[in-house]
Parts: sequence; structure tokens; C-alpha cells
Amino acid sequence: MAQLMVGAFYNPHLGPQLAEATTIDHLAMADPPRADDPCWPRIKARYKLLLHDYLGQLSEPLDERAIERARSLAELYRTPWVAEHFQCLHTEDGTYNLNYVFPPLYTEEFLERFVTNANALKARIDQPLVMENIPGFFDVTASRIPEAEWLRRFFERTDVGFLLDLPHVWLEAHYHGADPIAFLAEFPLERVVEVHVAGVEQDRDLQGPWIAPAAPADAMLEFMVHAVARCPQAKAVTFDAVSPSLSADVLLSSVERIRKALGN
Amino acid sequence: MPSPVSDRAVQDTIIRALADAPFRGSPEWRLQELANQDRVDRFARFLARHFYHERLVHFFKYSRALARTTGRAPEAILTNPGFAALFPTLVLGSRASAVAVARLVVDHVRSGATAEIPYMEELLSYEQAMMVVESGARVWSDGAPDVTKRKNQWSTPMRVEGTMLLDLTYDLPVVLPRLLQPWTEVPQPPREPTRLLIARSSHGRVSVARTTTSIATLFELADGRKSLEDLAREAGLRPAELEATLAGLVDLGAVRFSVGS
Repeated sequence: MAQLMVGAFYNPHLGPQLAEATTIDHLAMADPPRADDPCWPRIKARYKLLLHDYLGQLSEPLDERAIERARSLAELYRTPWVAEHFQCLHTEDGTYNLNYVFPPLYTEEFLERFVTNANALKARIDQPLVMENIPGFFDVTASRIPEAEWLRRFFERTDVGFLLDLPHVWLEAHYHGADPIAFLAEFPLERVVEVHVAGVEQDRDLQGPWIAPAAPADAMLEFMVHAVARCPQAKAVTFDAVSPSLSADVLLSSVERIRKALGN
Repeated sequence: MPSPVSDRAVQDTIIRALADAPFRGSPEWRLQELANQDRVDRFARFLARHFYHERLVHFFKYSRALARTTGRAPEAILTNPGFAALFPTLVLGSRASAVAVARLVVDHVRSGATAEIPYMEELLSYEQAMMVVESGARVWSDGAPDVTKRKNQWSTPMRVEGTMLLDLTYDLPVVLPRLLQPWTEVPQPPREPTRLLIARSSHGRVSVARTTTSIATLFELADGRKSLEDLAREAGLRPAELEATLAGLVDLGAVRFSVGS
């Protein structure tokens, strides 16, 4: 395996610290830079940037406006790949919107939709497309195909890369009462290009753990080491936390711990 | 024989159940038994708190910047009983829910130490208006261009529902950027009558523009029935002025054109 890049997400409120940091290889961009962000020029000059914005949900075709936006951001960042999510978070007519990642039904119909629309998007951008798995907090009876199998079939038909979000897999395993290692083994790890790692914390509404802008626990780092060893095409590991509440200390120390765990 | 329901329609039903509390409690949803109701309820509460946290941090950012004076951070209401009491009625993104949540924030901030901020009431009105104007269904995809509409687009201009005109006694736009910069004494705006138009594009972008009397008049006259000639006459505008003003209002999302017959 080639040397892995270890990075984080760009958090604009930590711009000064990130501009000075020397231990981070790349920054993923969840939002376009603000016009008045004084650190952006230095960040752009200093880092390899990964496009990880919301481009649109691929249960529907992206329209020209969304494609042009994706192309323009990809060019601005000079991103090595373009990331999107396996998500379907607003109704087709736009009336209801969850404003939060939410997985599609794992069915033949949704597989066709995602394959068709991902192939169409892939044809319109100049960089490889990677797609990130999204956790479900509950099972839906109308889902017919196990998630890992659905993803495997998607990747076979699109040749798109896999952005493996490990806390998402860990949470799904947790809420299914499954062993995360065994749960992970079902996923198409040979397709993984990038790995996300983050902390999880107890959530008062969910009454259980969920994604949080927190440092990964040692157990999560061990899970990462296990996973990365099984992802021969992986090029980057990213500390996945974007929040105004995130401190520079948590971000920098998390990257450092990821790097150390990987022996990088 | 009933027509088969597509998986996309089922997904829409699940999204609606998560976003729309009254629907989530209805037999129409519960009898479908698509998911564990307790898990759905918990995830819906999580989503509601997340949904409004994002909006409060964004739309009430000036009140948030003033929290060290007022002692009232707007997003604190999300953990108050008042917000929990709204759960059974919340519909994420709806205007009624935006009004209800924004009202909680306004009452919360207003009860703080506002003596040094004579424009606090107007600031809260402004932030509340921004949040309410942003609500409502949006267009997620442009789809194919509609040639028919384009051809007829200069027929009958109509106010976009939800757009607001705000009359202020302080020139708030002058002070807003200063509130987000470091300050020791609370920044004060000039006391000057100011009229703002707050509108949302069909894609959900909220914009604010200073408004002159002629723009406000034109906006109020645009009811979807008056022709361009009627509008020009009633607003006292020359054709070129009318066209430029309407173009500005359309860009802002305050006016759209209905297809003329």
C-alpha cells in the first residue's frame, strides 16, 4: 500500500491553526470557503483539498446547476476525487427535507437510480467519484437487500470509489447488536479510496451513541487499523469532524493519534 | 386493484414521517408499520433539534454575538421545555414551525440584559424574519428549462408568498458586520428609518435588500393580475425603471412571473 495521507476537515473557525499546522496532509471541504475567510488563501496554497460538499442526492439526476457547481468546486480545490453520499434526505417534490444525511431504501429500484445517476455524474466531472456509506438508526421493512451487498453491486456497476466511513459502520453494527469487525467484513473494502474516522458520543434524543465532533476513542482507532489493513486501494484517512464547537486541540491531537495508530 | 407503490414513494413516506410530527402520530403512518416507532420517534427528535440548531446558529448569529451582554444564547432554547413542548406539532421546514421556534428564541433573548442594546427588538424582528422567510418547500432540481414560461415571463409579475418588508427605526445593516467582529462596547447603529425587503429564492437562498419607496410600492402592487403597463402607471415608474426594478426583485426572489394567458 502506498503511503496514506492523513488529514481532517477544514473548519473555518480553526483557520489560523490549520494554516500553521505541519502534521496534516489534506483537508476535506464540506462547504465552499467564505469570501471573507482571511485564512483561505493560505489554506489553499498549503493543502491538498478534497471536495466533500453536498452536491445533491443521487436518487435523482443532478441538474445542470448542481453539476456546474460540482465542476467549479472541483476546479477550485484541484481535488483528486469528488465525494458524495448514499443518501436520500428530501422528498422528490421538495416538500420535506431532513437536512441531515439519511440512507435510501436498499432495494433494486434505488440501486438502479443510484447506478444511473452516479454514472451520469461521473461522466460529467473530471475527477473520480467516491461515495460514502450512511448509517441508519432504524431498519425499514421495505429495504430488501443488505446494505453491504447493495453497495457491492453499486460499485461493480459504476466503478466508483468507496469512501468508507468507519463510525457509520460501527454505529450500524452497534444498533444491530453485531460485532463491528464481522459487520465490516461484508463491505466491499477492495473499493475503498478514503476512510473517515471520528468519535461517537451519547446522544440524549437517540438514547445511544451517534456521530459527534469528538476525538476517536482508542477502540475506534483499533477498528481503523483493522479496516485500513483490508483496504489495499486506500489513499487517505480523514478525521471527520466539522463543527463550530470543535477545538483546535481535538482536531490536531486526533490527526496525530490517527497517524500514530497507522504507524504513519 | 391498487397500483403498486414505488420504492421512491415509500422513501418519501419515511422522510415525511421523520419531518412531520402530526403525520408521524397518524394512523396513516402507523398502520404501514414500516419501521420501529420508538426508533423513528427518537430519530425524529434528534433531527428536529439538529434542524433548528443549524437555523438558530445561522439566522440568530447577531443575537448570539451579543449573548455575552444579554446572557442569552439563542440556541439554548433547544434544550428548554418550551422546545420539547413543540415536538408533537413540529414540521421541519414549515412556516408555522419556523414561526413557533423563532418566537421561543425571541422571548428567550428578550428576557436577558438588553438595556445597552436599544435596537434589540428590531434586531430580533430582523432575525426572526430571516428564519421565517427561509422556511417552506424549495426547488431541489431545476429540471429541464421551461421554454413556455420564459417566452411569457414579462407578463404578470406576482409577489412571492412569504417575502417580507421590514420597517426599522435603526439602520441595522450598518451594525450587523460589526457585531461579528471583536468589540468591547456594544456597537450601535445610526438611528435612521430603514426599510428592508427579505426574500428567498426558489432554491432556498435568503437575501436582504434595502428598499426605496418605489421598490416597496411595486412589490406591494405586484399581485399577479396587474399588467406591466398598470404597474408602471400605478407605481409612477418609466418602462426602463420598471424593468430594472422588476429584474432586481426577481433576482432577490421577491417577485415571480405568472404565465400570462
